[in-house]
Amino acid sequence: MKACMRDRLLILSVFVVASCGLAYELIAGALASYLLGDSVLQFSSIIGCYLFAMGVGSHLSQYVKDERVLDTFVEIELLVALLGGLSASALFAVFAWSGESFRLTLYALVFLTGAMVGMEIPLVMRLLHQREQRFAELVSRVLTFDYLGALAVSLLFPIVLAPRLGLARSALLFGLSNVAVALWTCRVFRAELLRPTVQYLRSLLVLLVLGGGFIAADELTRWNEKAIYGDDVIHAETTPYQRLVLTRWKGDLRLYINGNLQFSSRDEHRYHEALVHPVMGALPWAQRVLILGGGDGLAAREVLKYPHVQQVTLVDLDPAMTGLFARSAPLVALNGGSLSNPRLQVINDDAARWLEQHGEVFDAIIVDFPDPSSFALGKLYSVPLYRLLSRHLADNGLAVVQSTSPYHAPRSYWSINATLRAAGLATTPYHAYVPSFGEWGFIIAAHRPGYTPPQAYRVPLKFLDREATRQMFFFPPDMRPWQVEPNQLNDQRLVHYFEQDWSQVIR
Amino acid sequence: MQRRDFLRTAATLAGLPWLTGCQQLLGWGLPVDVLRPGMATGHRLRHAATLPPPRSERRVDTVIVGSGVAGLFAGWRLAREGYRDFVLLNGPEPDGNAAAGAFDGWRYPTGAHYLPLPSPESAHVRALLADMGVIEAGHDSLRPTFDERVLVHAPDERLWRDGQWQDGLLPRGLGAADDAQQQRFLLHVKQLQQQHGADGRRVFTVPTALASQDPAWRALDAQSFASWLAAHGYTAPGLLWYLDYCCRDDYGSSLAHTSAWAGLHYFAARGGHAANAEDGAVLTWPDGLNPLLRHMRGRIGSQRQLDGAAWRIRQQGKQVQVDYVDAGGTQRLIARRVIVATPLHVAWHLLPQLAGLGFARAHLPPRAPWLVGNVLLDRFPAEPASQPLAWDNVVYGSRSLGYVVATHQLIRAALPERTVFTTYHAFADAAPATTRQWLAAASADALFEQATADLYAVYGPRLRRHMLAARLTVRAHAMASPQPGFLANPGLAVLRAADGPILFAHADLSGLSLFEEAAWWGDIAAQRVLG
Repeated sequence: MKACMRDRLLILSVFVVASCGLAYELIAGALASYLLGDSVLQFSSIIGCYLFAMGVGSHLSQYVKDERVLDTFVEIELLVALLGGLSASALFAVFAWSGESFRLTLYALVFLTGAMVGMEIPLVMRLLHQREQRFAELVSRVLTFDYLGALAVSLLFPIVLAPRLGLARSALLFGLSNVAVALWTCRVFRAELLRPTVQYLRSLLVLLVLGGGFIAADELTRWNEKAIYGDDVIHAETTPYQRLVLTRWKGDLRLYINGNLQFSSRDEHRYHEALVHPVMGALPWAQRVLILGGGDGLAAREVLKYPHVQQVTLVDLDPAMTGLFARSAPLVALNGGSLSNPRLQVINDDAARWLEQHGEVFDAIIVDFPDPSSFALGKLYSVPLYRLLSRHLADNGLAVVQSTSPYHAPRSYWSINATLRAAGLATTPYHAYVPSFGEWGFIIAAHRPGYTPPQAYRVPLKFLDREATRQMFFFPPDMRPWQVEPNQLNDQRLVHYFEQDWSQVIR
Repeated sequence: MQRRDFLRTAATLAGLPWLTGCQQLLGWGLPVDVLRPGMATGHRLRHAATLPPPRSERRVDTVIVGSGVAGLFAGWRLAREGYRDFVLLNGPEPDGNAAAGAFDGWRYPTGAHYLPLPSPESAHVRALLADMGVIEAGHDSLRPTFDERVLVHAPDERLWRDGQWQDGLLPRGLGAADDAQQQRFLLHVKQLQQQHGADGRRVFTVPTALASQDPAWRALDAQSFASWLAAHGYTAPGLLWYLDYCCRDDYGSSLAHTSAWAGLHYFAARGGHAANAEDGAVLTWPDGLNPLLRHMRGRIGSQRQLDGAAWRIRQQGKQVQVDYVDAGGTQRLIARRVIVATPLHVAWHLLPQLAGLGFARAHLPPRAPWLVGNVLLDRFPAEPASQPLAWDNVVYGSRSLGYVVATHQLIRAALPERTVFTTYHAFADAAPATTRQWLAAASADALFEQATADLYAVYGPRLRRHMLAARLTVRAHAMASPQPGFLANPGLAVLRAADGPILFAHADLSGLSLFEEAAWWGDIAAQRVLG
């Protein structure tokens, strides 16, 4: 290859190097914004730290001896490739495994990458200068490509790379570009390198690491989630509505939605028997049943045990959730294939909107909504929603509402009770012990008072019998009712109660 | 506007004319519609084009001209009292300042978006709300029970300051002096809420017609709110920004151009309570106040609502002729009584006899121009977990009025898949005539930039990715501004008292643009028709 051609390619490598440099800065900023919030602070402090580190790197570059410039350039490329390429994955891992050292790791990584990148341009300029390029022309060309690279990445990253590849893979991709520059330098300048073979082998090694990382990026994310969840993750999926993570450890299947435990297969029977049978056992004539939420099909499994039930309507927002629990073999085994039962109809719609837009009446309604942990979810525990619910409830039908814990969250639990009453319903509170949740609460609502718990059940159950049922309706002195206000949408007291309750549990 | 002009000049000087295209970039590729309700018809009317003779003539006992809050309220009252022989002329701007629109079923307001809890004095508004079922019980008690779906849901308000949200609209953390003055002011207006004049009436009430006539208190109207605040030692920048925001939000005018009486009225007149919400709660619907108007239209009956714009109203003896233009040409209505429920600057052109009644052109209240933006988003932008999206979101220090979330009142298990953000901007800083010239000439892009200033300030250009469409409503004569001296306007007193064949009904009669005021004058006119 001609010398002038080589110089041109060297200049082109400036473009790649500059692109990668800016990319790492953007990735670190975006990641810190995602994980820590306050994007203005994160981006400013990371850009500041990075630029300062580049200055330090430029300063240090003078100590590289003239004869080692080319070797050092290759080594720096490889170091940048490793540091930058693995930065996003490493930061995710640090955040998952030990949240406390996250900031320290973040800034250390940003500083080191910045310092390395800061050395690159001065080294390239020296290389070109050694090759007797005119200084004015040299500076102009190097800086032109430097800035062009920055422009390319600043557009490519937010529009294409971050949304398509994600942060971890974008970082790895830029790392691979750095390795490519190193490899190419080894090939073209083989004669001028002091230790060409060593550099070549090193480059291949880094290429292997990053390439492997690029292929295994999903695996890495899963591995990090395992650290967060503690068990093997057997399924993980981000749907438009939520993140579903399914874990298994020695036969214990667990479902997490957005990081919150939904059930453990070891004791979910307790939760679902307690949710369903006090209502269903008291309605031996019930034919039409509505389940709101409960896309896992476990409440449906309990309802379908009753042969007199002719039609179960299950309304759950997320088709990914109901699809998963209708198809995955271990999950179908758990819910007894309830979601494919011909007596059951799955409707993927927003439960509240569905209630607004339909008029069907049901003998039993089972409400298994997420806890009222946000203003949006708090609306599902409101007088308007309960009034809407009561319009769908047959005259002598029963509804049951999952109502958080009367032991851990007494304000929330009794506020839900007060809200149901404010909606004109007669309520019967009860509770059950579910080991993975603790003491959990439910409330039965009806148009008229007079509910009596079943004395016996005609379907096979693991948890409930006459005595266990009796105990569920007994509130011992440490779970006596609290005098709290109903949830009004205007101030959403329930959401405040819920926060207050759980902040006192988690200490 | 100044900032953009500066940028344009700077860019031209720098030889970079393409930089001025930044405004285009903000809304690049986005379908932006600009609506100018009433503008074309209004300007034709102003230039007094003559009409061909009427093709039809119809006799009716009463005609209501205009279908804003006042006109519809008059019609609602007549219909409720069993009075049948009337028609309502919709005019070029149906629903007036309480109009609404929809993107594919996602409804949004293009004007007023909330109603404070009505105080006991606003019995007329309470009667309407009870008729709608919004007041479920106790419409004549101190604390009625309201339909919770309509009471604004928490979180209702938040303020963006220094890159962060804070709860409520009063800026906090601006120092002890500001906090102390804020507390003092709130206490001050709380006392004024209970203040009675020498005639035994409350000094500040909604409707203003029921307020005390005690000249000692009416004297507040002689000065601006700004000078009243200065005279009472209210100087803290946070408090003054908030009060200025309130004046622009309710009256379209800044502190310096708002009557002190009106400024205090905003805080001291609203004494409404609810059995099931805290004081200060408001009523709102996804499409603002439009459901109230739809309800009134339903009671009036579609057979009594005519499309067409009034052109000339003439009293001849004991009869009144109303000539109007519809798709079929000119039509004439001959009525025993006519309720002119248009803004007064429109009435001025409709009714050449107005000057003869003792109402002069100088009596027309000054009107503030507004720009309402509606942006359809394909998802909700990211919000901090500690300060989730509120119903009303305001930017501290901004000259715009923030944005309201149209889907806020929906009860849903998950966030709706789309939403509409409604932005408001009252042009309080320049002379209305200058602003109107700008509004008439401004491109869709320039209007879009103005309408979305707060959205971009909060979310940055990333928000553009979520925008599917924008609809901008230019209301160049949106509302009467209560400038100092407005209470003493003798022309308005004449129109308020009119009880002949021609009656007047509009919030303009009060000099300030509130639903309750418009409804009050609609109610009064209807009562006069009913005798």
